[in-house]
Amino acid sequence: MSANGAAPLLAVRDLSKWFPVRSGLLVERTVDHVKAVDGVSFDVAEGETLGLVGESGSGKSTTGYCILQLLKPTSGSIKFEGTELTSLGREQMRRMRRELQIVFQDPYSSLDPRMTVGDIVGEPLIVHGIGSKRDRRARVRELLDVVGFNPSFTNRYPHEFSGGQRQRIGIARALALSPKLIVCDEPVSALDVSIQAQILNLLKDLQRDFGLTYLFIAHDLAVVRSMSDRIAVMNQGRIVEIGPAEDVYTNPQDPYTQALLAAVPVPDPRAMKERKARRRQLRHALAEG
Amino acid sequence: MVADPAQTKGKHVGATGVDIDSGDGVAAAAGGPVRQSNLWKDAWRRYIRNRAAVTAGVIFLLVLLFVVVWPIVSPYDPNAAPNYELKNEGPSLRHPFGTDNFGRDLMTRTAVGGRVSIGIGFAATLAILLVGVAYGAVSGFVGGKLDNAMMRLLDTLYGLPYLPFAIIVLAIFGTVNIWTMVIALSIASWFTSARIVRGQVITLKENDYVRAARAVGARWFRVLGRHLLPNTLGVLIIAIFLELPGVILGEAFLSFIGLGISPPNASWGQMAQEGRAVYRVAPHIIAVPSIAIATLILCANFIADGLRDALDPRTRET
Amino acid sequence: MALLEVSDLKTHFFTREGVVRAVDGISFSVERGRTLGIVGESGCGKSVTALSIMGLIPKPPAKIVGGSVLFEGRELTTLPEKELEDLRGREIAMIFQDPMTSLNPTLKIGTQITETIRRHYDVSTQDARKKAIELLEEVRIPRAVDRLDDYPHRFSGGMRQRVMIAIALSCDPKLLIADEPTTALDVTVQASVLDLLDDLRREHDMAMIIITHDMGVVAEAADDILVMYAGQVVEQAPVLELFDHPEHPYTEALLGALPQIEGEGIRQGRLTAIPGRPPDLINPPPACRFAPRCPYASANDACAEHMPELREIRSGHFVRSAHPASERAGARRPTGVGA
Repeated sequence: MSANGAAPLLAVRDLSKWFPVRSGLLVERTVDHVKAVDGVSFDVAEGETLGLVGESGSGKSTTGYCILQLLKPTSGSIKFEGTELTSLGREQMRRMRRELQIVFQDPYSSLDPRMTVGDIVGEPLIVHGIGSKRDRRARVRELLDVVGFNPSFTNRYPHEFSGGQRQRIGIARALALSPKLIVCDEPVSALDVSIQAQILNLLKDLQRDFGLTYLFIAHDLAVVRSMSDRIAVMNQGRIVEIGPAEDVYTNPQDPYTQALLAAVPVPDPRAMKERKARRRQLRHALAEG
Repeated sequence: MVADPAQTKGKHVGATGVDIDSGDGVAAAAGGPVRQSNLWKDAWRRYIRNRAAVTAGVIFLLVLLFVVVWPIVSPYDPNAAPNYELKNEGPSLRHPFGTDNFGRDLMTRTAVGGRVSIGIGFAATLAILLVGVAYGAVSGFVGGKLDNAMMRLLDTLYGLPYLPFAIIVLAIFGTVNIWTMVIALSIASWFTSARIVRGQVITLKENDYVRAARAVGARWFRVLGRHLLPNTLGVLIIAIFLELPGVILGEAFLSFIGLGISPPNASWGQMAQEGRAVYRVAPHIIAVPSIAIATLILCANFIADGLRDALDPRTRET
Repeated sequence: MALLEVSDLKTHFFTREGVVRAVDGISFSVERGRTLGIVGESGCGKSVTALSIMGLIPKPPAKIVGGSVLFEGRELTTLPEKELEDLRGREIAMIFQDPMTSLNPTLKIGTQITETIRRHYDVSTQDARKKAIELLEEVRIPRAVDRLDDYPHRFSGGMRQRVMIAIALSCDPKLLIADEPTTALDVTVQASVLDLLDDLRREHDMAMIIITHDMGVVAEAADDILVMYAGQVVEQAPVLELFDHPEHPYTEALLGALPQIEGEGIRQGRLTAIPGRPPDLINPPPACRFAPRCPYASANDACAEHMPELREIRSGHFVRSAHPASERAGARRPTGVGA
């Protein structure tokens, strides 16, 4: 539920995405399903950041893709500003896409290597027929500027830039249509720590400056903590715990959340070595018991 | 370790190109390009280092030059009326390749024949690629049941023997000219290209930039035309040089067994056929066109190898 | 005598664009039974260091151009390939980051383990198999006997890493080099793999080098830490000392850039970002390589012209900086040494 009682920007109810497992020689039959997302529900209020955290295979990225309708959900409801996304026609969804955007994890595969930086950031504008060529060029420069990327390099290709720079290009592209909601799918996982910090700071600034709402998906608990107002913990397709960030981290209720937090490495050698000793004791106790 | 928010308030992101994080007013903290290079230039440089590929490329170009230029400058008429005094002469200064059994200069005939053979080769290769790309792109892009069905169909078509099929097609057409030859040669040989393109499209589809295009609302033709197909360019260029030998050999074979384009507009295969009867007396008549075919095929293969290494994504820098 | 003694190691890559000075004069030693953690971001040269020790750098374009690597007194940089091969697996073993690509997908894991054993020992296949089962049990893979004949794809990421560790330990090496052993693993699996490595290290009295970019991993696993930047060692200290009193501005910045889990005002605050990027190693500046990004360096400092030496600022704590924390104006000098 959103904090102030107003209608949430995004309301997800019982979202499920099942992938069929097919088998058979001549005629393939569906023998089973992989329940990547299994009945997930949450709200995201306007202007807040909901962190979606979980390990690999938890279904967090799949959830993000379903919300953007990049994958067709098997069942469930996704309401954006009250509009049910799953029942929209193709053209209507296309128009809706201006409000919902995504930043991808991999700075290397998220940019088309055959397009220039300017083309990449300008593509959303072309797709929706916004502005003249000159308008678009100006807007692209403006967007690159805002994300801290030197606008004079619009004629270069992505491979000429580092991972952090490429992520900035990806963020500029996500901002092009002035969306309300941005799904950040592991936006810093592929970056070095010092660059991570730059990008995370950038995302925070953009949220403040443009009133953005984030669905922040990541596996790194510390990163999610630093970005989120509320947090949902996912395990094997389900949300096992959801609540204000502070509460989830200091007082986790679900055993999986507790185990997750206990396993996060922190840069504190005394605490870590203590944990290690405790785990060793536990192992020996189990071995003998 | 965590900065006080009160201290950082008031600094604005990027309006003047200043990134907060740099703190020293350097325009856009992200900085300039890390490496300045061009995908094609890198590939070119890698190609150049492959000596076999370069040699093959040079020879290939020389052969092309020969077949284009020589007939224009040659003093001889390739389809001259028979001059039996000159017939079956071996290579000499006046006739570097010798003469054929009608007394015509073999070098000029080789050049002209080359135009036919290579022309048909490229035309058929182009046809193969067009069909292959269309089929493979649709199959790979749409995926699902359509892809399954299309690939099953392809699997059954694979069983068709390429040359007998070409012969049947020629028989159906009745006449043998350049166009019917091109169709005959390509009709049963586009399957591999379709497979290759489909494979590429399926791999490329998984890239995030394709998802990004969809997320932005791009329609399927934009995704296919702007994102997928341009990225299959490398594979297609290699495919050209892989299909070429097969087609040239096919045409040569058909001509050799008499199903080729009617004389006097000879192709290399035809010339080889003419030389068959007199190979004991004048071996050069069959040797010259055969060597020409072999050279071209070998070069095409080496070029294809060189291109594949040069365009290998794994050696590409990320 | 230290088990491994690296002195002024220099490994350069000779590329078309120039000579990349990937590792440019690093020195450290590893004692029996101790774990050295090498931390740094991508491109700092930590993996190249490990590969140089093992002689596994790609010979063109890379080359060890200087320095020495002494393993039990033996010079490794000049050892002929055949002898290096005898050494690898037997005396020094290495495990890599991605267990998906380090194991051969077409061979059963039993084969991959016994293959290593039989390379170094003259034993029968049966005996090798017996040893392989023991090893799998040691790395805590349940139902070892059955799993011996499984292919890698039937194992999860964490299990595959354990198999890799089993292979690495099969010949009882004296030194284990682990290059980002937990980076590709889920966080709950990381802890168990690190625990495993720790237990094994104790039982086999092995020395270990852990290479990682993760400060948390190194806080847990290492006894001593080497911080690398742009091909050089910038700080070196025992683990508690390093985290309690980091001296080099880069180390401080690295620690400051890490998002915190506990604390006040995390959501609203900003992380300490290090502006800019690591230098190009083809033409590194003659001065301190961190200077362009250093919050304490200015253009007139000595470090803008000359490379600072790696000096011992406290007992056992080395720093390569003209502006270490305890020498800055108003800094409190730490008393005593962290154990």
